[in-house]
Amino acid sequence: MRADERALRTACVRIADWPVLCAVHAHPELRDRPVVVLERSGPREIVRAMSAAARASGIRVGMRRREAEACGVALHAIDVDLASEARRFEEVARSIESLTPRLELDVPGRLSFPTRGPARYFGGDAALVGRVHDTLTALLGADAAAVRVGIADGRFAARLAAREARSHADPDGRASFVVAPGESAAFLAPFPVAALGDPGFAELLERLGLVTLGDFANLAPPDVLARFGHDGVRCHDLARGVDATPLDLSTPPPDLVESFEFDPPAKRVDTAAFAAKALADRLLARLADRGLGCTRVRVEAETEHGEQLARVWRHEGALTPAALAERVRWQLDGWLAAVGPAAGVVEGDVRGQQDLAALADLELDSPTGALVLLRLVPEAVVPGRGRQLGFWGGDAAATDRADRALGRVQGMLGFDQVGTCVVQGGRTPAEQIAFIPWGEPREPRRPVQVGGEIAVWPGRIPAPAPGRVFDPPVRAELVAADGSAIRVNGRGEVGDDLAVLRCAALPDGGGRVVGWAGPWLHDVRWWDRQARRRRAVFQVLVAAAGPERGAVACLVAVERGRAALDAVYD
Amino acid sequence: MSFAHEQVLPVAGGFGSLLPGGGLRRGSVVHLGGAVGSAALVAPLLAAATAVGEWAAVALLDDTFGALAAAEADVALERCAVVRRVPAERWATVVGALLEGFTVVSAVVPPHVRLGDARRLVARARERRAVLIAWRGAWPAEAALRIEAGASRWHGLERGDGLLAGRELTVVVENKGVSRTARLEMPLGTSLGSIVVAPVEAITTAPVTPAALAG
Repeated sequence: MRADERALRTACVRIADWPVLCAVHAHPELRDRPVVVLERSGPREIVRAMSAAARASGIRVGMRRREAEACGVALHAIDVDLASEARRFEEVARSIESLTPRLELDVPGRLSFPTRGPARYFGGDAALVGRVHDTLTALLGADAAAVRVGIADGRFAARLAAREARSHADPDGRASFVVAPGESAAFLAPFPVAALGDPGFAELLERLGLVTLGDFANLAPPDVLARFGHDGVRCHDLARGVDATPLDLSTPPPDLVESFEFDPPAKRVDTAAFAAKALADRLLARLADRGLGCTRVRVEAETEHGEQLARVWRHEGALTPAALAERVRWQLDGWLAAVGPAAGVVEGDVRGQQDLAALADLELDSPTGALVLLRLVPEAVVPGRGRQLGFWGGDAAATDRADRALGRVQGMLGFDQVGTCVVQGGRTPAEQIAFIPWGEPREPRRPVQVGGEIAVWPGRIPAPAPGRVFDPPVRAELVAADGSAIRVNGRGEVGDDLAVLRCAALPDGGGRVVGWAGPWLHDVRWWDRQARRRRAVFQVLVAAAGPERGAVACLVAVERGRAALDAVYD
Repeated sequence: MSFAHEQVLPVAGGFGSLLPGGGLRRGSVVHLGGAVGSAALVAPLLAAATAVGEWAAVALLDDTFGALAAAEADVALERCAVVRRVPAERWATVVGALLEGFTVVSAVVPPHVRLGDARRLVARARERRAVLIAWRGAWPAEAALRIEAGASRWHGLERGDGLLAGRELTVVVENKGVSRTARLEMPLGTSLGSIVVAPVEAITTAPVTPAALAG
């Protein structure tokens, strides 16, 4: 492990079933009832989250509404309200901000922050966890039982630690799990590869027999790069407990910052959100021009009274314009709720009951006033590899598709029958090609270039190359006019003129020789007494049968008086 | 929705000019036959896919793919998968799997392919917008294009002297019942892309046209 690969010690705060908590907050009569929050996915409604009572009856995330209703309990179905989720989570973010300034929001319901500073200040990870629980209990009351805190090296491990926290709750019901420094790799090892969050990639790994993160982490990084590409390396880093996301970058160049001035100041959420959409598109297009994608963005706003608001949002993989615009909108919702007419009221909050439409109409007539400036700052950028489309849609997706198809064919025919070819040094056409089974590094056995110079192979058959190569060669008869086999002496002199070539691999079994050149003399492995071979290779033109009087060109090797067909210029 | 030119993979040079639209229409099946000479024609078709960043695959019943010749024809070998020694009884399954992942699949057709299997592959190619080149054997199902490599004449070789240099290949392209015969001049160059760029000497239309009848 390189020194710069050490993962940043990170805490992840997750509030389980956040959508349900928000829904129950809005409809207090539903507390402790089986509640599902539905979201629309195309034509159908699927379950986004469910309460503990609903989970107990077998309902799971991703189920369709009808399936959920068939689970046999009197369900209360509520439509998702992302705006209210984001708005209420902004309160959570604010209260955590009293402990540390460096927050990053992943989605409403989950945030993370580096622990180095706050853990020192509060006296260790355990004390920090306690502080987080105290803070959130003060904010959420009974709902704080759903708070899970995980601390580990790297965001990925911290997230999984937060997921594990429930089974490590203390007697007060405070769920937290702290992975000791340096133990993250061991902590991650037993998790299934599906935890990487890439179902297609996880399926591939499972097919290859790599079931847990530990199995995957045991592979050598160069092998992972050769087989799975850069996305594979990113996942491999996660599995090893190395955080692939770069640490805090310095200030990005100012020309990558996109900002929008509202004139007149934006008084309504939907006005600001509309500008945010255009801003997100512009920012990501500019980054894409440089071959970059954005994984972390800081949303900044200024109000007409000079207040500055900022919040960092992070995303696994590069943000799409839609995802970025959505996050900016969530953030605007969160700020507007905080600065709105009911600002300052936490318990008995009436804001949660406002629906999205009402919020959109909410005028920013709060003390802080309307927005005058919205700014998007890309905080972390990654090479935007997967999003560089080529012509006709040729892109990394094409490679993935080919890879899957070849994997399937390898399963049918065997590992060695499927692969690609690579050009290498050699004399005959067969020697100049190496067949590399799919999945192995494409390296020729004999490099074409040695030290920047093209290696010389004496006796190499010149271009053009034949379209059909027989390896091993097919037995043939190359005879002179009197019917005797053609022989080549040690000095490369041919005894007779070539008259007839017969071979089963030729159309009509061969025929009269109408032209020939050579021989090229190959003294193969002359330094090795056992493996030494000497052969003479001819280009031979055989008259083809038929009215068109064409000819078939082929390569014939004579070795120890025996002829063999090497290749046909098909 | 896509534009017409996006549905055609352009084939370089004089060979491409023989094909309708100048190349391979995605989603179609091409039959490529001929006792000898078809390999010289399959290479530019594979190159049509790899030149635009797509992947091509070659499925063979044996192990005789002249990859060096393909490389000379500007096929990007790193995006050209080779599947060798495909058993005849699993041929349709293998080719079907390849059509899922590749833009151009050139498969040597084994003897006695069932019509039902062939039709299924035609449908698969259309559905995946891939091009299936049914190579060498007899193709029982429909094909948008039938290409037949005819006789070759070679230049440069004499009795005991010279080197194989250029080649004239007779090609018959049958499209919608109209067949054109052309002679492709393939001078030896550094790459086959330039080799195929050659004047088409003779073009004959097989069905008798009204104009010919009038003459």
